[in-house]
Amino acid sequence: MESVLFGIGVTALAGALATIAGAAEDTESNIGSQGDPNSQVQLAPQMGYIHRIYNKAVSGEPPAYGLWVTISAGVAWAFMVTGMNPVLALVIASALAIFVQGVYATTAYLGRTASLAKFEQPVYIDVIKSVTTVTMAHAFVAVFPAVSMCYLIIAALNHPFPLALLGIVWGIALGAAGSATGNPFYGKERQYQSQKFGAGVPISASGNIVRYAEAGQRSSLDNGWFTAKLAGPASGICFGLIVFFELWRTVLFESAAAGWGAIIAGVVLILIFMIIDRYIEVWARKNYGPYKSESAEEVSA
Amino acid sequence: MTVQVTASEGGIPHNTIMAVGLVGSLVCLYLTYANQFLNAEYAAFFGGLAAVFALLWGTDTIKHLCSYGIGTGVPSAGMIAFGTGVIAMLLATKVETVMPYSAPIAAVIFGAIVGAVSGWIANSVLKMNIPVMVRSITEMAIIGAIVLMGFTAVMAGGFSFDTLAVQEIAILGPLTMPSYAGSLLGGCLLAVSFMLGSIALQHPFNACLGPGEQQDRTLMLAAECGFLSMIVVAVISFAFVAFAAAMLSLIIAVVGFVYTYIRFIELSKRDAFAWLDAKPILEPEGED
Repeated sequence: MESVLFGIGVTALAGALATIAGAAEDTESNIGSQGDPNSQVQLAPQMGYIHRIYNKAVSGEPPAYGLWVTISAGVAWAFMVTGMNPVLALVIASALAIFVQGVYATTAYLGRTASLAKFEQPVYIDVIKSVTTVTMAHAFVAVFPAVSMCYLIIAALNHPFPLALLGIVWGIALGAAGSATGNPFYGKERQYQSQKFGAGVPISASGNIVRYAEAGQRSSLDNGWFTAKLAGPASGICFGLIVFFELWRTVLFESAAAGWGAIIAGVVLILIFMIIDRYIEVWARKNYGPYKSESAEEVSA
Repeated sequence: MTVQVTASEGGIPHNTIMAVGLVGSLVCLYLTYANQFLNAEYAAFFGGLAAVFALLWGTDTIKHLCSYGIGTGVPSAGMIAFGTGVIAMLLATKVETVMPYSAPIAAVIFGAIVGAVSGWIANSVLKMNIPVMVRSITEMAIIGAIVLMGFTAVMAGGFSFDTLAVQEIAILGPLTMPSYAGSLLGGCLLAVSFMLGSIALQHPFNACLGPGEQQDRTLMLAAECGFLSMIVVAVISFAFVAFAAAMLSLIIAVVGFVYTYIRFIELSKRDAFAWLDAKPILEPEGED
């Protein structure tokens, strides 16, 4: 009984760490402008809309976060093998991973922007100076809890995987959660604030992203401020729930039916979430009306 | 999907880059065998240089493959290179235990086989119909295997299967015992090499693509990504090789990284439309 209680406590702690990681991950990717909304940032100068938005085209968020978290996990593992204190090892390893992240961010911005010279998009050095450090800080807040969570799973719950393998699995999951949950807030809400709400993005509006602020010009930091309110916490809850339920079912049901209990519990959880999703979708359609034919065309376009 | 969009004209032809990449990386991988004759693994850093050569070659391959309209497929190309490469690399390290000094060549041969099969599946079974697909995937599987082998050499000082799967760990002071969990494979450090290599392989072209892409700038970024990844594996190598050898790898990686990073910024400055500090948005004056 005590071991189960301990396991549930660790599960809750891991879920809390995952929530922090998810929230910071989404805010970081929106400040740096990574993931699918970045295609519009990339497109804007080609349509004649010169902007001062960061352009961090490293890859999709899942592979990128797979890399940062795996670097952190692998380096921390190596430090721990040589006898370093785990907490110190995790912090230094995360810092090294964030150094790599920062370098990748700057080279992506410089490379993409320099290749857009034909469309008169200049390189803004002050954007690099001010935004890169902020994305690095947010990435540290995302990577350190993620790798701490992996370490906790191994040290407290005796997970058989080595740290780097858990790092790659949960790093990709972290990026996927932030990308799937948070990006609509940035891509559809923020970039197209000037469009009529719910109008979709017609072809004629492609690349016409928000570039000017109430006073002055938008920078990517404003996007972070905007998405930190809803998109970040939503991504955090998403990733936190994934981690929490994953561990919770293992801790509680692994002893049942020779290990099959945890698998059955997982399938039941997926079914419950499918029912909830379907209910919300039907509820939203009923309350906000059916798709109108003209907006349906725009969606398909 | 089969319309070719040429990214940039001119520059060094692909076959030249491929020859330099293949020969350079194989020579560097063979130089790591010098570790057996030295009193510490001072030659481990040659593995990192092999990875840099292979990444230069790989960047140019990706540029050729992705000129066929697979823009969002650039990161996936890095992943498939390493997914196929890791099979070839592990098989080659096993061959090394039977036939000494054969691992680098074996990695190239196995990589070519695995790559050709998966390229054939992508092109003919999945019907992607991209003319350079089979050749490109074959090249990238070889590159993946070489980069993984190079990073492994930096981390562990060699790449025979036994070196990777067993690590002597100290118990009770002078006594040691072999441990799988403390080894390179047991710690799953291949996952780190995998992610480092696959992002480093796809990033240069992904970051530089666009109408103004220039080959020298893209290749400089490829070298920068290689050295940056080498910094990470050199830090990890402190757990496996002698302190002085790991320090040597780290210093070479940092020097190479700083040089290529500064050169890349200079080349970006050359190619950029304007290089502005704290200036407002310049609205375009007219359509061209």
